[in-house]
Amino acid sequence: MEYITITTGFLIILAGLWAIMTRKNIIRIIIGFSLFDTGIHIVMVSMAYVKGGVAPILDKNELLTDTANKIVDPVPQALVLTAIVIGLGVTALMLAYAMKLHSEKKSLDIESFKDLKW
Amino acid sequence: MISPIHILTIGLGGAFALGFVPKKAKDAAAVIMLAAIALMGVLTGSWLIGLINGDSAQQVFTAGFKPPFSINLLMGLNEGALTTAVNFIGLLGGIYLYKYLKEAGNHAIMVFLIFIMGLNVVIMTRDIFNLFVFLEIVSIATAGLVILTETGKAVQAGFKYMLATGVISGVLLIGIIFAYYYSGTLNIDGLTQAHIGALRGGSVALLMIMVSILLELKTFPANGWGLDVYEGANAGIGAMLSAATATGMYYVLYKLLVMAGPEWNYWIALIGAVSFIGSNVLALKQRSAQRLLGYSSIGQIGLLMIILGFKDILGDNTPYVAFGILFSHYFAKAGLFWLAGIVKQSDIANWAVIRKKPYFLFLMGTFIFALIGFPPFPSFFAKWELVMELVNTGNLPWVVAILFGSMMEAVYLFRWFGYAIKGENENIEDFKIEWNKILPVGIVAIALYVTGYFTAQHTEAGAAINWIPLFFVAAIFILDFLPVFVKNTIAIIGMALYFYNIYPDLDNMRLVFEAIFMIGGILTLIAGYAYKGKRTGFYPVALLMYAGLTAIIEAQTTLQFFFGWELMTAGSYFLIIRGKRSMPHGLSYMLFSVGGAYALLIGLGMAFAGQDSLGMEIINTISYLPYWAYGLLIVGFLTKTAALGLHIWLPGAHGEAESDVSPMVSAILLKAGVFGIVLTLIGMGGESNSYPWLPYALGWLGAITAFSGNLMAVFQEDAKRLLAYSSIGQLGYIVLGMAMMTHLGWLGGFSYVVNHFLYKAVLFLTIGAVVLRVKTHNMYEMGGLIKRMPLAFIAVMIGIIALSGVPPLSGFAGKWLFYNAILEKGWYLQGAIMFFSGGIAFMYLWRLIHTVFLGQLKDNHRNVKEISIWFLIPIYLLLAGIMVYSVKPQWVLQPLGDMIAQWFPDGQLTWDGGTAFTKYGHWAGTAVAVTIIVAFLVVLALLLISTRKAHKVKQFDITYSGERPERPETTHVAYNVFEGLYKAMWIATIPLVETWWNKVTDFLHDTADIVRRIYNGNGQTYIIHIVLFIIVTYFVIIGG
Repeated sequence: MEYITITTGFLIILAGLWAIMTRKNIIRIIIGFSLFDTGIHIVMVSMAYVKGGVAPILDKNELLTDTANKIVDPVPQALVLTAIVIGLGVTALMLAYAMKLHSEKKSLDIESFKDLKW
Repeated sequence: MISPIHILTIGLGGAFALGFVPKKAKDAAAVIMLAAIALMGVLTGSWLIGLINGDSAQQVFTAGFKPPFSINLLMGLNEGALTTAVNFIGLLGGIYLYKYLKEAGNHAIMVFLIFIMGLNVVIMTRDIFNLFVFLEIVSIATAGLVILTETGKAVQAGFKYMLATGVISGVLLIGIIFAYYYSGTLNIDGLTQAHIGALRGGSVALLMIMVSILLELKTFPANGWGLDVYEGANAGIGAMLSAATATGMYYVLYKLLVMAGPEWNYWIALIGAVSFIGSNVLALKQRSAQRLLGYSSIGQIGLLMIILGFKDILGDNTPYVAFGILFSHYFAKAGLFWLAGIVKQSDIANWAVIRKKPYFLFLMGTFIFALIGFPPFPSFFAKWELVMELVNTGNLPWVVAILFGSMMEAVYLFRWFGYAIKGENENIEDFKIEWNKILPVGIVAIALYVTGYFTAQHTEAGAAINWIPLFFVAAIFILDFLPVFVKNTIAIIGMALYFYNIYPDLDNMRLVFEAIFMIGGILTLIAGYAYKGKRTGFYPVALLMYAGLTAIIEAQTTLQFFFGWELMTAGSYFLIIRGKRSMPHGLSYMLFSVGGAYALLIGLGMAFAGQDSLGMEIINTISYLPYWAYGLLIVGFLTKTAALGLHIWLPGAHGEAESDVSPMVSAILLKAGVFGIVLTLIGMGGESNSYPWLPYALGWLGAITAFSGNLMAVFQEDAKRLLAYSSIGQLGYIVLGMAMMTHLGWLGGFSYVVNHFLYKAVLFLTIGAVVLRVKTHNMYEMGGLIKRMPLAFIAVMIGIIALSGVPPLSGFAGKWLFYNAILEKGWYLQGAIMFFSGGIAFMYLWRLIHTVFLGQLKDNHRNVKEISIWFLIPIYLLLAGIMVYSVKPQWVLQPLGDMIAQWFPDGQLTWDGGTAFTKYGHWAGTAVAVTIIVAFLVVLALLLISTRKAHKVKQFDITYSGERPERPETTHVAYNVFEGLYKAMWIATIPLVETWWNKVTDFLHDTADIVRRIYNGNGQTYIIHIVLFIIVTYFVIIGG
């Protein structure tokens, strides 16, 4: 069962990458990136999973002994929050780019932005 | 000491404070930003000073927790140096972008501050997740700067950049979380202790982390997105990316490589080598200045990666080598990007405009020479150390790869620089200077010289370098606003004093060459008085060449020798490229010189192998692949003597040079190569050397060079090119003589060294002075000048008699010694070729008199004057030398013989008064000379008397039978005079060598043009490159 989340995470990462590499519309590419990012977040959380573990909130006495084996690892959960915030920032900036690109060429096709090359 | 955590306080606090600054108070905002960066710089700088003085490094843990529950930063010596460097360039970059950021508004100013702060933390952090966060901050800040300040192409590039860095940091994040999963820590030191690469599953995590850092460094070929930003973004942002970001990222790679363990070293070096060579080859086809700089930046990072990969082999030297290359790159690349922003020309051909403000040309030259690794810049010393160490540890293929990549870089950078110096600039609009833009460029240029000087002091051999000549060059450069007369006098006095001071310290062999360089230098400088005005830039570069020449003579260590060699190359390059139409010849001269220098570098490295000193004597005892080492040294030196195959730069370079420069680069400079060959042959053990094939091959090469040089000279219509080809031939004789490795051979060779200096200086000076008067190089456009320039005629007459080697003049001494030596050695076939080429020499020498001075005077030359007195003085002094040598050859040959006897004691000449004996015969120089001179005078007198009453035909006593020829020069008797010979010999005049070199360069350029099309401009393609890069590295490194 614990492999479901991680597998799903990787599938979403691959789906995101596939969208980034094949979709021509910039908005779709950005959505692809968002998927890619979300997949990573899912993988991160699933890495912290401990079989039968509970949330790392020490509200019961029984948790105070042998804590590490009873709770899920809190560190990745803290990390994923940061990662989500950063991902949000990146996505927002990408969307700002999309707007600016569109206002210049009235197109969102990534093929039409190849002025710099070689 | 203030805790380094306060860099964050200053950066974030500053950015926060900027939010309160009213939108209209833009100056205030920009000043706050600069002040904040300066404050960070002061903080890190004070740490750096403290750490250098022995303070201990400090590790910072936030909130009192240990990792992984806190962010931890380290401030050690490396971090102190690199954060200071980043803040320094950030401050300069902020000043450069001052007006630009101001116009973009407070947001852009804020983002710039955060960008610099982010890089500081990237350098200091010891936590990989924190690293990810601040890498993202830097990427977002970069992309934010682009979108806030730019329009058009730059925005496209910015989007591709966002997309690529987004995917890359995603990969990094996956790697980080897996590394944490397998090791339980995020701290780099913790991961190092856990041997993350050895853990089950950890190796894949490590691969993802390492590969994403490599990708962030824009490793070839998955770097199209980086190149687009370099090209599209404002030059000020490009400078930041290339100098600051690359510096920070490089240090990240260093930190992580420690974590990855030694088995990754090889892969980093390999990927670095691919990146270095790949981007430098692709850059060959670049025309856009900023994109070219981008390729070059990526290449330099590749080189730095190679250094990192060899850190275990370089040991304690790693920081020296890495910082040497890194700082040269960092200053020079920032400077060049900034210059690109000032000049505002995308096409490198239009950079010719830069010389409308000559000091800008000087700045550009500084940066380009620093990038290639010329002295006195830090990269020179770092590259030297790198090659020495790598050769010493048997890593020859790596050295070859590094030098090949450097060579490619030299090709496109010097092509660009050539356009700047010589390109057409009349129709290009001049550029404007703003104080805030020029200030940072000036500062980094000065920083390069200063750091270069201090880098040299760091090693024992470097500290021994004599800087006085260079300071003299710098002084002359500062005085460049003075008129020619003053500068020429200072230069002559300076050289004379210097020569007077050092000649007592030199052994005889070095004294011969030093006298040719210095006395020859002074004589040719005298001709400089003929020039009017300021002659901007001439004196610094001429003296630079002489400074290099004297440095190779004085060198006590191989480092000093190579230092001088490169200075000489730089100086002579600038001298050569001053001539009209010299652009392509300057480039080919430079490329052959750089290639030759690299051959020398490897050779000297092999000589160092297994030795513990760098003294010049190590070339006498090479034990590591000695055949190759001596061969490489000889090839390196042959590029300067223009041996056949390596000669194609010479005719154009010497032919197109200015009138007084041609003798400098021909009569004088070529002897530097001979000096090197002499040193190498002595090093090989002289007569009893155990490498018989090398001198044998060298002998044949000399003979063939002599033949083909002379043959090519015959078919020239251009007087200076004729002399240039003749030099190739003459140097062939010298090489053949030295290659014989016998007493007589060397005596012949040295006799030619002195002679060639004398008569080639006379001929080039005279013909050069004539060219100044008649304004053409083409001989068929001259004629009858004997009546206008009798003194020049006499000089050429004596010069060609001496050159042709007939009695009574000094050239005969060389010929006579040669034939004796050839017979003794038994090289009959080579001797036959020599004899034949001697005959050919007459055919071109005769033309100098016949076509230029005899015949009918051209109409437009009816009023030309005798050549300038300032040329006549050195010419006649040199002629006096030829006369003394001719009448009293023993005065020259006896000391030379005594000198050569220390290496070749057998088979000396025996002297009886003025008569020399060999086993084949004898020669009484004085008697022969006097007899022939007397006979000549008698015949001349008889002719003058007997033709007293002859009827003189005026020039226009002729008719053309009413015909008007379409190409008048074809009716000139001297035009194509050897048509018949050409029909017989054309097959020997096909420029096979030139064709071969052209094929090589075409092949490289075509390859570059095809391969660079992988960067098709589509952001998605770049992502595919990134994904492929990851897959390929996975299969290569982890194995499939």
